[in-house]
Amino acid sequence: MSNPKLRCEDLSVGDQREAVVVENLSRTQIVQYAGASGDFNPIHHDETFATGAAGYPSVFAHGMLTMGLTGKLLTDWLGDGVLRSFGVRFVSQVWPGDTLTARGTVRSVEDRGDDGLVSIDLVTVNQKGEPVVTGSATALLARSR
Amino acid sequence: MSDAASKRDAFEAKIRAYVGLKEGLPFECPDPVNEPMIRHWCEVMGDENPAYLDPEVAKKTAHGGIVAPPTMLQTWDMRGYAMRDPALIQNKQRELHKLFDDAGYTGVVATDTEQEYKRYLRPGDRITAETTIESISEQKATALGIGYFVVTRTVFTDQNGEEVGWLTFRVLKFKPAQQPGAADDDRRAAASKPTRIRSPRGHDNAWWWEACDEGRLLIQKCSECGALRHPPRTMCGKCQSTQWGSIEASGRGCVYSYTVLHHPPIPGYDFPCPVALIDLEEGTRIVANVAGCEPEDIHIGMKVECVFQDVDETMKLPFFHAVK
Repeated sequence: MSNPKLRCEDLSVGDQREAVVVENLSRTQIVQYAGASGDFNPIHHDETFATGAAGYPSVFAHGMLTMGLTGKLLTDWLGDGVLRSFGVRFVSQVWPGDTLTARGTVRSVEDRGDDGLVSIDLVTVNQKGEPVVTGSATALLARSR
Repeated sequence: MSDAASKRDAFEAKIRAYVGLKEGLPFECPDPVNEPMIRHWCEVMGDENPAYLDPEVAKKTAHGGIVAPPTMLQTWDMRGYAMRDPALIQNKQRELHKLFDDAGYTGVVATDTEQEYKRYLRPGDRITAETTIESISEQKATALGIGYFVVTRTVFTDQNGEEVGWLTFRVLKFKPAQQPGAADDDRRAAASKPTRIRSPRGHDNAWWWEACDEGRLLIQKCSECGALRHPPRTMCGKCQSTQWGSIEASGRGCVYSYTVLHHPPIPGYDFPCPVALIDLEEGTRIVANVAGCEPEDIHIGMKVECVFQDVDETMKLPFFHAVK
């Protein structure tokens, strides 16, 4: 659940937050994301296409689905309306059946007058501990007066 | 210039002409930001944040009402079913992808994205997306195959013409290392077990790798002054002669220096991966993997011996094992 009261002085460099963001990802969820996002690239929902023409072992999740799941960790941790930037690298694919755990670590807290700009390093790993996305994000958090 | 090189130059000139071009006219996203699409998106994510879902609770937030999750930004610009069939979308980006496809770079995989959010979007916002082809990399050899990284930048503006955010999206267009065909168990197994990076066999060094294929470790020898050299190259560093032959190494040597690689895990290699610089007893050095002992047992000066091992079905490489 979100944390609307978090202030930048509540965070210190090295603070961590970890959460399971999806368990046993189903093909249905991948299809549901295709519908919700409007991204109907067949590689993500059409098994025949994915294994045939494209040569993958099965369909796999949209990178933006994994990014969105990772983003849930950020917004649950930092609160609403504060996320300023978010970048990820799609390190390896996410397959049906995967369970993903996202971990954020505070890299820096920069004084911006009434606010503080918090930079977070991110990694999301699958059930084997392999990173699937790595990235970083910034959020602007208010400071107590 | 060879045929292949001039063909590649011509291809690269064609694709580079797209750098800096707008994909097309600004795209007016088909739906205004709206609660049903937000709810569907949050349901997939398992995100129950009331700021996105519950109008009553959302009223009390800084936004004064429901907002869309920031990471949903790209969703407003998606083209839906047309993405099933590239022929249904006509713009510069599709044209560029077709050039790649026609040249054999049929594979595509997203590699990264950067996003910036100027403000959170509210139901009713009408979003326009304008996409520019920002850059195309040099040709790169990747684990998936040879290809090019293409970066696009999409800027999102609202009904007042104010920028609300942007994102860059980088994809790799590549020639699949395995040619497309019917899926079968072998290919699935092969896809899940990548092979090592292939040896670079050029005009001046193929002979050395071909000897490896036969399990023989050769050392290049200058025909003029007799100096040994490795790795293979055209000219003697001592006397500048381009005449050379080779001798077969005994395979015995000792560790001059070494390192143990842990990260990043390159497909096809076992980790931790000990790599050593070996002083061969003939007097040259070679870089190779050390095998047959624990990485922590490797030490400078350790006596080693070359053993050829199959690293996959088509590749044999010299490894060095400790000798007592």
